[in-house]
Amino acid sequence: MSTTVIPHDLEPHPLTGMYNGKFGIWLFLASEIMLFGALFSTYVLLRVGAPPGQWPAHGSEILNVPLATLNTAVLISSSVTMVMSWAALKMKKFGSAQVWLTITFLCAGAFLVVKYFEYTDKFHHYQVWLNDPMPVGGHEVTTIKGHLTADSPKLECSEKTGAFNIPEYVIITPDGDHGSSGHGEAVRVEGSKIKRISNFGPRHSPYLATYFTMTGLHGLHIVGGMVVILYFMLVGGAIWKRSPEKYTNRIECTGLYWHFVDLVWIFLFPVLYLL
Amino acid sequence: MNLLLASTHYGAWTPPLYSQHGGSIDKLIDVVHVFMFVIFIPWAIFFVYCLMNFRARPGHKATYTPIKAKVSKYAEVGVAIFEAFLLLGMSMPVWADYKNNPPAPDQRLEMRVVAEQFQWNFHYSGPDGKFGATRSSLISASNPIGLAEDDPASKDDIVRVNECHLPVDKPIYLRLTSKDVIHSFDIPTMRVKQDVIPGMEIPIWFTIDKNATTDSIRPQMKTVVPMDKAEWYKVRHLVAAVDHKVKDEVVLAKGADLGADLTKGKELLEQLRKKGLTELTLEPRNPLEIVCAQLCGNSHFKMKAQVMTHTAEDFAKWLTESSKKPEMQTDF
Amino acid sequence: MSGHHDHSHGHHDHGHDLPFWRKYIFSVDHKMIGCQYTVTALLFLFFGFTLMMIMRWQLAYPGQAIPFIGQYLSKDIAADGVLVGDGYNAFGAMHGTIMVFLAIVPLAVGGFGNYVLPLQVGAPDMAFPKLNMMSYWVYFCGGVTMLTSFFIKGGAAASGWTSYPPLSVFASSGQTVWLLGMVLLITSSLLGSVNFIVTTVQMRAKGLSFFRLPFFVWAQLVTSFLLLLAFPPLEAAGVLQLMDRLAGTSFFMPSGLVFSSEPQTHMSGGGSPLLWQHLFWFLAHPEVYVLILPAMGIVSEVIATNTRKPLWGYKSLVYSVIFLGFMSFIVWAHHMFMTGMGTTLSTFFQATTMVISVPSVIVLTCLILSLYGASIRYNTPMLFALAFLPMFAIGGLTGLPLGLTASDIHLHDTYYVIGHFHYVVAPGTIFAMFAGIYYWFPKVTGRKMSEFLGKLHFWPSFVFINVVFMPMFFQGMAGLLRRQYDQTEQLHGSIAHGLTKMSSYGAWLLALAQLPFIINFFYSMFKGRKVDANPWESTTLEWAAPSPPPHGNFDKTPVVYCGPYEYSVPGKSKDYCPQHVAMEA
Repeated sequence: MSTTVIPHDLEPHPLTGMYNGKFGIWLFLASEIMLFGALFSTYVLLRVGAPPGQWPAHGSEILNVPLATLNTAVLISSSVTMVMSWAALKMKKFGSAQVWLTITFLCAGAFLVVKYFEYTDKFHHYQVWLNDPMPVGGHEVTTIKGHLTADSPKLECSEKTGAFNIPEYVIITPDGDHGSSGHGEAVRVEGSKIKRISNFGPRHSPYLATYFTMTGLHGLHIVGGMVVILYFMLVGGAIWKRSPEKYTNRIECTGLYWHFVDLVWIFLFPVLYLL
Repeated sequence: MNLLLASTHYGAWTPPLYSQHGGSIDKLIDVVHVFMFVIFIPWAIFFVYCLMNFRARPGHKATYTPIKAKVSKYAEVGVAIFEAFLLLGMSMPVWADYKNNPPAPDQRLEMRVVAEQFQWNFHYSGPDGKFGATRSSLISASNPIGLAEDDPASKDDIVRVNECHLPVDKPIYLRLTSKDVIHSFDIPTMRVKQDVIPGMEIPIWFTIDKNATTDSIRPQMKTVVPMDKAEWYKVRHLVAAVDHKVKDEVVLAKGADLGADLTKGKELLEQLRKKGLTELTLEPRNPLEIVCAQLCGNSHFKMKAQVMTHTAEDFAKWLTESSKKPEMQTDF
Repeated sequence: MSGHHDHSHGHHDHGHDLPFWRKYIFSVDHKMIGCQYTVTALLFLFFGFTLMMIMRWQLAYPGQAIPFIGQYLSKDIAADGVLVGDGYNAFGAMHGTIMVFLAIVPLAVGGFGNYVLPLQVGAPDMAFPKLNMMSYWVYFCGGVTMLTSFFIKGGAAASGWTSYPPLSVFASSGQTVWLLGMVLLITSSLLGSVNFIVTTVQMRAKGLSFFRLPFFVWAQLVTSFLLLLAFPPLEAAGVLQLMDRLAGTSFFMPSGLVFSSEPQTHMSGGGSPLLWQHLFWFLAHPEVYVLILPAMGIVSEVIATNTRKPLWGYKSLVYSVIFLGFMSFIVWAHHMFMTGMGTTLSTFFQATTMVISVPSVIVLTCLILSLYGASIRYNTPMLFALAFLPMFAIGGLTGLPLGLTASDIHLHDTYYVIGHFHYVVAPGTIFAMFAGIYYWFPKVTGRKMSEFLGKLHFWPSFVFINVVFMPMFFQGMAGLLRRQYDQTEQLHGSIAHGLTKMSSYGAWLLALAQLPFIINFFYSMFKGRKVDANPWESTTLEWAAPSPPPHGNFDKTPVVYCGPYEYSVPGKSKDYCPQHVAMEA
């Protein structure tokens, strides 16, 4: 039986100052930067090239800034706890490292729960585009944003396009001036007057398409990170027993990835919610 | 080579040229290819020399020290300088001219080209020089560009499908748009090519040579094909240029084509052969074609339009006559 | 995703007592993974070629039933044995995709890179063996995904390997499968490139400084960086196109589309079709160098060994490929000159395109000057490597008129383009791959391939591949456009039809010329002449290991004493000084 010893599996290489795993994770992050870089470029190109009025003046017109601020705080805290976990391992305190790791995991979970509420809210918010202007609340409007009332007929999706078919009619409660809901009286709009109807999901507009794609992909990265963290929460003890150094390295690499995921959010938050 | 490339005036290099700007493009193509041969042939000679001279054989040993090759450095620098010349001296001026100097509005014929799967729609403003409004909600099979009948400017507009009439010796200014996917507007014989992209209107312009009316080009492309080389695929767009006779019997009249499809074409050619015809004198039915150069779906290859070029007088005549009764011609 | 580091166990217990599935299927040994990649990629190469042979029938005899196999094709592909338009487009798109992403890259990087690179740097394995295994299986799944698209309703992706929207967004569900397959293939390439870079940088043997690395390793290193940094934007683009297709977004769909006379009012619009082209070509131009750099690496190894003298200008070669790597990121829009680009942008991209030709010229010059004063052994790998040089030169030179906007007006999207890049990748890269297979076969199996069958493979291949591709330049000149189901439908295509037939016959004869290779491959595997560890009397480290190398590769960890190509050093008894042998003073 022969054995294969991989050089620099644990000890740093003199040239890079890193062990293999750490070097590898940095390279991986470089490719991740290109991935999100391409998406950010897409955002810039589409927004800059759009005719006036197609994109909202500020993301906050549509999105919930306080919730996102909370989420930002949650993610930054999780980065801190991730570092604490690694620091504890460096000090050979396995027990407290696992506690910090668990807190990181819970923070990530909290982030996703908040995100879930943000998403569902969008899917229950509708916009109707009209063929011709009609009076609503004293103004002539060409489009109405708001929530469908309970007695409005259920919308059906077209099999061919996946978009909502134009219904016979809808009953919609228009939004207030700054996106506050429930303002004003419900209006009934006949199907013949409707050009297009959509909820505030990805197909609503290029802005929401970008929002859902970028935060969705970021969310997948969070889930990926959670899977890895959960793995170390469960089997960390066994690895630690075999080689404390190896376990410390792995947590360091996980941490590097986790900080990157946080960093992406720190860019996403102002770009999508504030600008 | 001529046999392989069949048998018309088309030749073995670039196709015949009927636009004014195309000459500089052809010149660049020629210069680049001469340049390629100037590089490749000495390179190949040196290569073959090395292969023969330095083959392994008893008593022959390789030398460890590399040769000092100043020549290669000179060659590399020479290549770089010549490329710079091609770029700065030839390509950029042509491109700048092609892109930056549109003809003045009062001197040009302006028209709209609307591409769709799988046809070209041509929209002429008619004698009033004003394009009628178009609306996508009006688009139908009989109104391919959605021309609004209620707009007074649209009354004398002309819409043609897959048939493009152009005057010679007058700047032509095309505004290209697409309804569905990306197409590419290509007239090989004019050296004009431009992608047509939905959501964008891209202008291009060119001027057709003074003598290049369709009627005068067609006989120039006359060619004689021996019967045994006359494969249907190669002659399917050609028609008889003269009456073909065997023993005073006309077997193929002037202007007759060689069969609409493979089966009929093969039969016809076989009959002619049996009757003892030895060669065919042919010319293209439509010598000038607009084709689509960008994959646009399963019938991409069929997306083509015929170009009819006219003298200024003939074109004016066509324009007034066609605008009198605006017909939406969809068959082709 | 962050799981890379999980796989670096200090000890791998490999023995001859491993069960079959661990040894041959889910193996973590870089050599077995390299072989898996090679065999899979060769099968895809054959499949991609078969698609093209069927298409060449339709081109040579438009509208006539395909002999032998026409009747077995599904209705989406062929009606009464005659290929239909959608079938032709699907075959075209899949030929491109399969050849680039499933055949040549996996063969050049996954196969040769995996097998040879750790040996050449004197490492016992890749830095992350389990990750390596995962790369292969993700690639395999991507390949299977691509193949399944032939069997779903509407057939495989038919919008070209470039998948330009809006066409690709309107296309049938084969396109979705194509995108999913691409995401898998990209992921596989990313994992692989991380592994290659870490292995090269961190695991070089003692004494093996960067400028003692064989040129092949340099080529693979630059290639890995290209894969690492160029592929993610395509992955992003793929995700965006998936969103357009599945979630109804409009990233690539402008406002006001009318499809089959129906206004697409259910879409938000506001997207840009050109955005896809930018993201796609930002990958796909570096991809061209991913195809060619490993080939240059292989050719350099074979030429150095068989000229029995050091490569001329080793350092210029290295600097050239690094420069090529950098430049390949800023030339992408030369594929888009016809999209209505203005003078400023086009000038920039023309200029970078001219600049990038310089390092390619340097590489070719170095390789040809290496022949001067040599003692050339004409064995099969050397014949393929030598044929690479003029073929690559033709491919490179014919890129010039395409890189200049003015001449590109006439040549863009014609057969001239097809001829140009096929000269680079077919008689260029694929010949280099054959050179590599003949050259390293003795290392993998301990047996040499038959020289007679090898030459019987080389000469007809060399002739017929030129019969296939040379006519395309003339067709392109005549204005014949690419991606035409029936070229004779257009006047200029009809006129150039004789050359089309010539090309088609060339392709079928080229297929016949591969028979000696297939026979040779299997025959030599079992019955070939047994050879020792270093049959070519070569210098680089892979020849210091036994043939075939055991787990862990080297009996004794090698130490490197000299550069990679110390052949015919004056005053030595032998005409080669292996890197791992200390030179006598």
